[in-house]
Amino acid sequence: MKSGMKSESPLSAAQRFLERWGVLVAFGLLVVASTLLQGGDFLNPENFRTLLNSNAAIGVLAVGMTLVIVSAGIDLSVGSMVVLSAAIGTTAMNKLLGGGTSEMSAVLLGGAVTVAAGLAAGCVNGALVVYGRIAPFIATLGGLAAFRSMALAIADAGEIRSQSSTLFAKLGRGGIPLAWESGTVDGETVYTGLLNAAGKPLTLTYAIVIFFLVAIVAQWMLSRSRFGRHLVAVGANETAARYAGIAVGWVRFRAYAAMGLLAGLAGLMQSSRMNSVSTSGLGLSNELDAIAAVVIGGTSLRGGFGRVWGTVIGVVILGMITNILTISNVSPYWQGAVKGAVIVLAVLVQRGSRE
Amino acid sequence: MELPPRSHTDSFAGPPPARGIARVLLAADNVTVDYPGVRALDGVSLQFRAGEIHAVVGENGAGKSTLMKVISGSQWPTQGAVRLEGKPVLFGKPSDALKAGIAMVHQELNLVPTLSVAENVCLGREPAGLLGLRVDRAAQRARAKALLGLLGSELASDQGHGGGVSRIAGELSVAEQQFVEIAKCLASEARVLIFDEPTAVLGEREAQRLLALFRTLRDEGRSVVFISHHLDEVVAVADRVSVLRDGKLVQQFTRGLDEPLRDGAGVVVDEARIASAMVGRELGSIYPAKGAAVADAPVLELVGFGALGRSRGISLAIRPGEIVGIAGLVGSGRTETAEAIVGLRPCVGALRLRGQPAAFANPREALRAGVAYVSEDRKGRGLHVTLPSVANMTLPSLDKHARWGGLALHARGEREVTDRWIRDFAIRCARPDLPISSLSGGNQQKFALARWLEAAPRVLIIDEPTRGVDVGAKGEIYRIIAGLAREGLACIVISSELPELIGLTHRVVVMREGAVAGELGRDALALGDCEERIVRIASGLAEPSATQSGHSQQGAVG
Repeated sequence: MKSGMKSESPLSAAQRFLERWGVLVAFGLLVVASTLLQGGDFLNPENFRTLLNSNAAIGVLAVGMTLVIVSAGIDLSVGSMVVLSAAIGTTAMNKLLGGGTSEMSAVLLGGAVTVAAGLAAGCVNGALVVYGRIAPFIATLGGLAAFRSMALAIADAGEIRSQSSTLFAKLGRGGIPLAWESGTVDGETVYTGLLNAAGKPLTLTYAIVIFFLVAIVAQWMLSRSRFGRHLVAVGANETAARYAGIAVGWVRFRAYAAMGLLAGLAGLMQSSRMNSVSTSGLGLSNELDAIAAVVIGGTSLRGGFGRVWGTVIGVVILGMITNILTISNVSPYWQGAVKGAVIVLAVLVQRGSRE
Repeated sequence: MELPPRSHTDSFAGPPPARGIARVLLAADNVTVDYPGVRALDGVSLQFRAGEIHAVVGENGAGKSTLMKVISGSQWPTQGAVRLEGKPVLFGKPSDALKAGIAMVHQELNLVPTLSVAENVCLGREPAGLLGLRVDRAAQRARAKALLGLLGSELASDQGHGGGVSRIAGELSVAEQQFVEIAKCLASEARVLIFDEPTAVLGEREAQRLLALFRTLRDEGRSVVFISHHLDEVVAVADRVSVLRDGKLVQQFTRGLDEPLRDGAGVVVDEARIASAMVGRELGSIYPAKGAAVADAPVLELVGFGALGRSRGISLAIRPGEIVGIAGLVGSGRTETAEAIVGLRPCVGALRLRGQPAAFANPREALRAGVAYVSEDRKGRGLHVTLPSVANMTLPSLDKHARWGGLALHARGEREVTDRWIRDFAIRCARPDLPISSLSGGNQQKFALARWLEAAPRVLIIDEPTRGVDVGAKGEIYRIIAGLAREGLACIVISSELPELIGLTHRVVVMREGAVAGELGRDALALGDCEERIVRIASGLAEPSATQSGHSQQGAVG
């Protein structure tokens, strides 16, 4: 068509483009900015590994949050679910170790308990929202307070140290080596592949692997599965979804349950990385980072539209901003303000034709 | 607003209003609009005059709604201009048009659901009280009441606190919302009033009131523009009829004072003539032949059935291949009863499916048992307007495309099914990946019907099957329904369009105030007075005892 979209003002065409691809544009700009600031240091694989590793748990939360937000809901309790599930799971693991269970089974069982505790907390949220008919904001605000307070009560507001000698920490810090031995020169081992600054093999941590697996599965669920289609339909128009014969309550319940499960997983990732659980600090204000990543990724807070890949880039963008600010010697106290501005900007760009 | 007073009476006395040469208020000048992949308007020039009712008609997708968007400022033309009293104007947004005196009532209702009727009517023009610091709520209510009173709406009457104009917009029926929308438009005191299918959601009586209001507005010297698929209304009130086809203006008809509509050659124009101008060919009867009477056992039976608090005591048996119509005024409990059948509302009484007692907790259970309901509210309930065509089409029948227990959907299968219905129903849909809100209202309606037919129900309840659908598409929908009935589908058609019920269905049940007030059988529907009989029963003028015994009764209403 020769005249194309001329009837539309150029401003709104640009806006539509930004709405759709803004997250990629922002990502590209940040890569350029980081490279300029850090030179070659930024582009080295170790730096990326570190960036992903330190944001993997937030990433898992943000992926779950994407599903909840697509269903036109919100979950403010994710940070508290993280600390509660980690506290319960680590306590269980320590009890098992104290009872003489082998370290391997104790770590595995403790991990399972952590994830299950998250799932249970998510089911409570889902039940309150769906069957108690409480607005998601309010129901999960309750969870935000209650779950953390339960975790504090378990450890008297203190720290729960893991009694596992090595295995638990290995789960949190270990990974798959990205280089292999290719021989020895002058008694020194030589590696082929990706190396860290010390010349040793770089590890792709389990946390990163879990983050990406979770993201891939969630993206598939959202765009290719029946559950995902129902989630979008419920988020876009709950009444129309009910008229179309969708079990609206069950769909929404499952979104919160999945969120809880992923919060438990994030709890496991965090507690094993620290090899302990600080009941006052772990997961604190994680809900803000998770929601921010979702919004930056282009998922509509109104529900009915979302994309997990956008959220993944949103997580990376948040991490890069923190990196840049740290490198530029911006006081950590100011970093919150910059993040806040980025979130508001993301929402501003999102607004527009979808209104 | 300086307009000469105009006297328009039914008498022949006085100077004839020079309607044909009245001042042009608003003009579309060679307007072309291109959407991605389609030219919606192609060089259309139209004048809208003071003191004239101007009807714009055309098939779905002919460009009517686009034209209205252009003149009301919510769409920029690709080429051409809009002139207000001769001066070219470029409205950046609808509020600019409103300031210039052009108000539009959209096909989609745009009320703020959490505000009251009065607040919605006065939205943006709240009467100021106390130094302009607060809204004069009493004046606001009074103004809303006066405007709704003009429309004869029951919202104007006070039913104690929480009634009338204090009601919350979100809780109103579609017809009531439409009245509020119109009152909102009147509140703006615009010179040009544009109505996009204003009577589509209204019952017969409400529609007549609205048409009377059109005449009043015209006689006040305003320019009334309306889009309608109801050609009887067009013939009854329009002073000028513009026919659009494929984005072009193909014909205009005009009338002098107290004369019928005529074409350029002076030949009197009727509904059929307008319809054939719209589709570009002669149209036969749009109603297909009715299938033979059926003697099978009923597939669905209602026994003393009703929607809790809205209807009661309805007993009805529907056989395979039968099309049963339900008539009644807006608010007579037709829709609520249908919603109760598929489990959207709590019900009273009993439901039997193929002789077995049945009860559905939700539409999913109903659909599994083969009972589907197509909502009258396309935008809010019948479709997901923000989702693309494919997702809309397969939503009720998604299980067909599920593999691995729903973990994967067969995307190509979904696409093929959607393409097939788009082809079969001749839906104009250039880009199936765009939200379905990009389609015209009539094409959306075909989608809403198709998605349920795809789920292959045994009993289909269709609420207002052709609301906002043009003549050509109406015929197609009727043929589809009749064809499905011949294959054994049992159909309940709820409609405010009596010719549709009479032409399509085997018998018509008339509801009034939540109960069955009468029934007209096949023989009764073949008689010339059946439309009047239905109206009388629906408004409570007939003797129920004389009509209830059914189809063999003739001339029971006199």
